[in-house]
Amino acid sequence: MNKLFFLVTILFMTSSCVAVKEYDKVYLNDEEMVLSFKSSERFETNFQVYREGASGANGGKSGGGCGCN
Amino acid sequence: MSNIFKVLPLLLCAILSAQNQNSTYKKRVLETGELETLFSYYSQDGPNAAVTGGEGTEELTDATSTLVLRMPLNDDDVLTIDAGFSAYTSASSSNLNPFDGNGPADAFDASTGASRSDLLAYFSPAYSHSSDDRNQIWSANAYVSAEYDYFSLGFGGSYSRLFNEKNTELTLAAQVYLDSWNSQYPIELRGGFTGSAPGYNPNFTPFENEGRNSYSLSLGFSQILSKRLQASMVLDLVVQEGLLSTPFQRVYFGDIPDFFLENFQLADDIERLPESRLKIPLGLRLNYFLNEFAVLRTYYRFYYDDWGIRSHTAHLEIPLKLSDKFTLYPNYRFYSQTSADYFFEKEQALSTFDFYTSDFDLSEYTANQYGIGIRYKDIFTATRFLVFGLKTIDLRFSYYDRSTQLDATIITIGTSFVID
Repeated sequence: MNKLFFLVTILFMTSSCVAVKEYDKVYLNDEEMVLSFKSSERFETNFQVYREGASGANGGKSGGGCGCN
Repeated sequence: MSNIFKVLPLLLCAILSAQNQNSTYKKRVLETGELETLFSYYSQDGPNAAVTGGEGTEELTDATSTLVLRMPLNDDDVLTIDAGFSAYTSASSSNLNPFDGNGPADAFDASTGASRSDLLAYFSPAYSHSSDDRNQIWSANAYVSAEYDYFSLGFGGSYSRLFNEKNTELTLAAQVYLDSWNSQYPIELRGGFTGSAPGYNPNFTPFENEGRNSYSLSLGFSQILSKRLQASMVLDLVVQEGLLSTPFQRVYFGDIPDFFLENFQLADDIERLPESRLKIPLGLRLNYFLNEFAVLRTYYRFYYDDWGIRSHTAHLEIPLKLSDKFTLYPNYRFYSQTSADYFFEKEQALSTFDFYTSDFDLSEYTANQYGIGIRYKDIFTATRFLVFGLKTIDLRFSYYDRSTQLDATIITIGTSFVID
């Protein structure tokens, strides 16, 4: 896990000098490229919070707000 | 003097014109109001109900309906109102009191008692403000929800900073929930229980503290990696304290004689879990624009907590653009977790232990989820309902299969409208 975290950190750090211009973001601005779950997926995330031991880091609740988890 | 009246308007026009040229064009954060409706129907079944100590029907259905209204207050500010309710019917929670008189009580049969169904209602407003250059975003939110045995009050805020020509984004968020239980115990552990099983005399102590507080801190980082690739990482730190046990989940000990009434085994105790929990989930997301037809959406999460659970979650979705109106969403999710230190199957825990539960949600297992969705997009919002112009219709279906024999299906229908 530590290796994975290290690799991802290096990946992000080494690529942070890349600056894609606004006029080059046509693919990145596609609605399917959004970096979060879509609202239609929120109930799936909800039941997973109830039914699984793990939660958080996905835009859903990470504890509290319901009698679950 | 008359020349002054001729020149003054020209001068004012020149000044205003100059001011307009100096001001940069600022696009509204949200052009127009939006309304989103979501409805879902969830159904599950399995043989390991926590209410009946790890053996019994887990049959449950839940219907949820939600409205989300987003309104631009001005160029920079957006108000979001999220409200809804969730109505469930549960065979296992009906067995808080399995002795309903309709045949002999049994953990694998639903009772017709009042605890068979419940309603959760919630209301959550949020407000966000963006800076003029759109490189900073502040937001605040509140949350209140109520159901028969649980009440929750929450609030939070976040700050986002974009830089590197909006290629990089950092977000810091905090959230607090102040929750409280209205503890409902299994019927045989309540005072005044009139059922009789010779020798049955459980050593039961009700919870004194019924509050549950959750504090979370979240650090988010996203980065554009190329014209087609972007990634994000979210690290949460969650601390919970208070009543983290569920008061109506029975436990049967291995060192205590079994007592039955009808066909139903009476509780030795309810689950007892520590009054604090530290959770650290780390989520990674990587999206790649393959071509005009397909996008690759991936997600991975590692989860750690101090109850002994380690879990891995992997999710893959490939939106397929069938036309400019229809998109198909095949997706797959894999989940695995280790057991919590306090999980014991029925009659495996001993009465001398400090903490114990037979809730299979905290056991070791793997789960596979297969899903498909379709979106209809009305680009010109041509279909009208009063002041609402239809924007999208989403339909999703997922099947969830867990190695503990629990399986579930969920169907979601969502629509979004722009408001004139």
